Amino acid sequence: MDECPGHFGHIDLAMPVIHVGFVKEIKKLLQSTCRSCGRLLLTEEQAKEYTEAMESVEEMGGDAMDVRLLSKETAKDAASRPVCPHCGAEQLKITLDKPTTFREDGHKLTPKEVRERLERIPDDDLVPLGIDPKACRPEWMVLTALPVPPVTVRPSITLESGDRSEDDLTHKLVDVLRINQRLRENRDAGAPQLIVEDLWELLQYHVTTYFDNQTSGIPPARHRSGRPLKTLVQRLKGKEGRFRSNLSGKRVNFSARTVISPDPALSINEVGVPYEAARELTVPVYATPNNLPLLKEIVKRGPSPPNEDYKPGVNYVIRPDGRRIRVTDKNAESVAETVDVNFVVERHLMDGDVVLFNRQPSLHRMSMMAHSVRVMPWKTFRLNLCVCPPYNADFDGDEMNLHVLQSEEARAEALILMKVQEHILSPRFGGPVIGAIHDHITGCFLLTHRNPKFTREETLFMLSRVKHRPLPEPIEEKGEKYWTGKQLFSIILPEDFRITFRASICRKCNECLKEKCDLDAYVRIRNGELLYGTIDEKAIGSFKGKIVDKVARDYGSEAAKNIIDNLTRLAIGAIMVEGFTTGIDDEDIPEEAKRQIEDVLQDAAKRVDDLVAAYREGILEQLPGRSLEETLEVEVMKVLGRARDEAGQIAGRHLGLENSAVIMARSGARGSMLNLSQMAGCIGQQAVRGERLSRGYWNRTLPHFRKGDLGAQARGFVTNSYKSGLTPTEFFFHSMGGREGLVDTAVRTSRSGYMQRRLINALEDLKLKQDGTVRNTADMVVQFRYGEDGIDPCRSVQGDAIDVDDLLVEVLGDEAELLAKIEEKKVAGYATIEKDLMEMEEEEEFEEPEFEGGGEE
Amino acid sequence: MARKDTMSALKRRGLSDEIVEKLLSKFKSVEEVAGASPRALSGSGLTDEEIEQVAGKLSGRQKKAGGRKAAKKEEVREEKKKLEVYIPVKSTPLTELQARMVDIVKEMGLDLPMKIIIDISERIEGIDVPEGTIRKILKKAKERFDEHTMDANESSGIIAAQSIGEPGTQMTMRTFHYAGVAEINVTLGLPRLIEIVDARRIPSTPMMEVHIDPKIRGDVDRVRKIASEIEATTLLDIADIETDIVNMKVVVHPDERKMSQKGIGMEDVHKRVAKLRGLKGLVELADGKLVISSDEPSFKKLQGIVDAVRDCKIKGIDNIKRAILRKTADEFVIYTEGSNLQKVLEVENVDKTRTTTNCIQEIFEVLEVEAARNAIVNEASRTLEEQGLTVDIRHIMLVADLMTNDGDVKAIGRHGISGRKSSVLARAAFEITATHLLHAAITGEVDHLDGVAENIIVGQPVTLGTGAVNLVYTPVRRQKNG
Repeated sequence: MDECPGHFGHIDLAMPVIHVGFVKEIKKLLQSTCRSCGRLLLTEEQAKEYTEAMESVEEMGGDAMDVRLLSKETAKDAASRPVCPHCGAEQLKITLDKPTTFREDGHKLTPKEVRERLERIPDDDLVPLGIDPKACRPEWMVLTALPVPPVTVRPSITLESGDRSEDDLTHKLVDVLRINQRLRENRDAGAPQLIVEDLWELLQYHVTTYFDNQTSGIPPARHRSGRPLKTLVQRLKGKEGRFRSNLSGKRVNFSARTVISPDPALSINEVGVPYEAARELTVPVYATPNNLPLLKEIVKRGPSPPNEDYKPGVNYVIRPDGRRIRVTDKNAESVAETVDVNFVVERHLMDGDVVLFNRQPSLHRMSMMAHSVRVMPWKTFRLNLCVCPPYNADFDGDEMNLHVLQSEEARAEALILMKVQEHILSPRFGGPVIGAIHDHITGCFLLTHRNPKFTREETLFMLSRVKHRPLPEPIEEKGEKYWTGKQLFSIILPEDFRITFRASICRKCNECLKEKCDLDAYVRIRNGELLYGTIDEKAIGSFKGKIVDKVARDYGSEAAKNIIDNLTRLAIGAIMVEGFTTGIDDEDIPEEAKRQIEDVLQDAAKRVDDLVAAYREGILEQLPGRSLEETLEVEVMKVLGRARDEAGQIAGRHLGLENSAVIMARSGARGSMLNLSQMAGCIGQQAVRGERLSRGYWNRTLPHFRKGDLGAQARGFVTNSYKSGLTPTEFFFHSMGGREGLVDTAVRTSRSGYMQRRLINALEDLKLKQDGTVRNTADMVVQFRYGEDGIDPCRSVQGDAIDVDDLLVEVLGDEAELLAKIEEKKVAGYATIEKDLMEMEEEEEFEEPEFEGGGEE
Repeated sequence: MARKDTMSALKRRGLSDEIVEKLLSKFKSVEEVAGASPRALSGSGLTDEEIEQVAGKLSGRQKKAGGRKAAKKEEVREEKKKLEVYIPVKSTPLTELQARMVDIVKEMGLDLPMKIIIDISERIEGIDVPEGTIRKILKKAKERFDEHTMDANESSGIIAAQSIGEPGTQMTMRTFHYAGVAEINVTLGLPRLIEIVDARRIPSTPMMEVHIDPKIRGDVDRVRKIASEIEATTLLDIADIETDIVNMKVVVHPDERKMSQKGIGMEDVHKRVAKLRGLKGLVELADGKLVISSDEPSFKKLQGIVDAVRDCKIKGIDNIKRAILRKTADEFVIYTEGSNLQKVLEVENVDKTRTTTNCIQEIFEVLEVEAARNAIVNEASRTLEEQGLTVDIRHIMLVADLMTNDGDVKAIGRHGISGRKSSVLARAAFEITATHLLHAAITGEVDHLDGVAENIIVGQPVTLGTGAVNLVYTPVRRQKNG
């Protein structure tokens, strides 16, 4: 039937032609062998030496590059000899006229002559030239016959109109055939040499373009419409070529793609799948005596049972003989009857099935994780918000892919290795990538900051979705029973949990007041009880959450999954009880403050003018290693930067922790104090390439300013805030800065993408062997011990092999509390002072791209 | 004709007719003979003795014709020997407690890295901890350490590549000022990371950090003096150059102030300029001015003189365009724009153990692979850290180790690691597909399907992780119970 893939045929060429792919090789061979006797132009000893060198390269496991380099050297050596050491014939200079014409001292060598010469080269002389005589003879590089692939390689398409449209390769073969025939007729008829040669050249052109239609030096063969033909090399090459597009990556069945949306009620391990998708995606189930009745029931439901009270149906049933039967509503009953042991039933997706979930670009292994299915109404994939960071997903229209696993092995592997909970700790830095974001952090902050009290109703509302330890005794006050926020947070922690660190809101005072911190920023948890401190980004956030980190490390992934699930539900409950909103009035500052800011900015503008004046008079003191202009720029930038900061500080003084926007910024939920000060105080200097704006018109940025004006306003300093609104010139400057950001992002993605592709390609073969060494597939040792200590970064404690503090606590038990306390000033649990400072800087850096990319998609 | 010239040239060098004949059967010019390796020489039928003779006679030309890599390398090696290189002791000596703990670890047969021992000792230093407890701590530490090691067959390479590549999207493209030294522009962020991974010969902004010997590093004046020795000073930096077209002369007016600042005397300048090619005997020192008169009345020649004189290096080290002092906690450090490690290390009073450059290739040439490997690790992790991205150092070390695996620094990419893979399919799938396939045909390459890319192409499980092991199950025949 359709099983025969077809057979190769061939076209006998009237005259031989050169294969374009091998011209360089042919040139090398012609240059390094004798024109009359065909021997390699080296003495016996030399030839032997090179042959031995070649053999030793192979023996030592040299790669293709080594072989190529050595053969090149051999050829160069041989080509430099003017006289053949074997027959004494003088050698002439061979040049290559691109793409396929060879010349000897200016005289053209026909492919026929080339072939004759190549035929003369003895097998033994080929080895040092990097050619395996067992695999290939050099004269084969000059073609006397052209292979014709079967039609399966070049299928023709029949259009609706009945016209047949042939494949590009077929077109090219037709050309070759036509010219070949003409050439043969002309030659046999004894046509003039000139005509024969022209036709021969034409044949060469067609054969050349049949292999590679992008050979430099000749025009590409075109389709009638003017589109260049896609011939053999083009089929293989590049991103859309066979290798990268069809062999390294393939299209798959049992997959789905749709828009994603959030669902805080799902576990991080789950994914919500719409009915429509679930009815298309199927899981093969092998019928056994044990599940036969159940399967029959499922088959009986047919392909489209009602969606209310979703139950899986069946699309196909595969009989033991391999026949696939499509189940329809009509034949469902009868097919169900026939189902027996050894049948395979392709059942619809149902709750609990394991699927792979992926979002492009798949930059790391956390971009594809296994989730268990929850079939739901509506048409989007639903996922827990905490898995957004590893996928780098948001809900502004992002789509994601879903793949249903089809074999038992695949399912087992996915469950054990790929489940979301197994990826909470990132191999990149040994910390959590999955954790609370945005409102979860705000919620926990509201729940725990300064320990608010909650009534019984509120408490039960918050805990209604949380699986937790039993509630502790409430606090009684004025006859009413209350639970405090810290109590409520504690009940989701493991019972013997202990940790000490400083929260995100910590101001990094020179001397830490610890428990007495007036910001409630010193977090201490003992025996699963939150004693002091506020829970914010540092505790539970993705990338930073120390509690998540420690639970995942010490209590396992299951516990970590539970705490993240509970945490987010509790946080959502808390934020709903407390109520939370932000608006432009959060950036309101009193008139007095506005005046102060104005003064600061005016003062700065005046100082800039002074600097410019000093510069013009030439009394500005030059900085070492800088020109006068640069000095001025540096000084001006310094003054303006300071003014912006000062304005921000004045604004910040009037924005306290009762302000929603400030809560978000300080707790690390969203935004930064910088963003706030830009909204309330002053936006500050706009920069392109790290310098003040200077281009546009002659000696000025805009025609609104005088030529040569170096003042603050004229060079892109925006004194207004986002709230007060920008003047037209300011707006223009601001968009200049914004544009640079956009360009930067666009350039960056492509550059970093290519870098990663190269990195992956170079490192993909490395693996850790049983003996602890890292080797590539050629068994070459790259590292004798992985990372010098053999520690898995994923299991490391932020890069360290073990958590020494934790170790001491475990070994010394309670007596260590005293010892540890002495040390606490130096090393406080997970957080050291230096580390905190580093993370401070990190925050600032992180903000920028987020801000720029905000409205992009 | 040319043959005759060559013959006479060779004979002039004192080679016998016989040898010259033999040489000419193979080589066409004197340069070629001089540049040829002994192996190539032996190819022309010379005996070893004769080869030596040829090499000896032509060695004077060796350097000039030394376009060959080998000759160059030897040169570098020779100079390297002059440097007294010693391995610096960077770690502080062990305290009593640490020494005791090391002994205990040895005695207990635990294989723990030094870092853990030091970490533990730091915590319990000064507190009287009984030895039994220390043993307990160390034992537990070893247990935990073993739990944290990586599993066999883990695809450590891919994890490393992803961990370095993924944060690339979050990095900036801009060049910034180096932290601490505002005056020097340094490439940072993604472009710098790409540069490191590419093993570029010269970074886009080469830079050095020159430390001074402990004895004098706090002395500003002496450090400044060293800085002025390092910084390359051209004539233009210290003098005005004037072209006198009427008299066909070039007049150099030195700037006294600048010259004394740099510690250069008029004599030095004169000597330097006089040494320039083509200016022999044309330079005169006349009342504090340097007058160079052209020997032929041509404006072209005059312009040539101006160009040559202007760029004439008076003092300092090539490639070092600027040297800037910076005070850190207790010392003055010289930061330079441009880099020349070899020459800077030869400068007196430079601390050879701490002076670095950001040019990895240079470190490789001067201090060999191991140093280059460390340089890659340091540069890459500093670049990432500077961007506020945390990447485990083990990933970076793996990349650096792979790049330096063969004994020289290879790039990540088609000219380096990826172009040298043993599998044709893997190479074809990466870049330059057609060339690899065609070449495989003539060399008769065989693909053993060991790697990842090949196995994906043929549709088999890859040889990493769960794909690296096979499960063999021998079922036990169950007794049929009646």
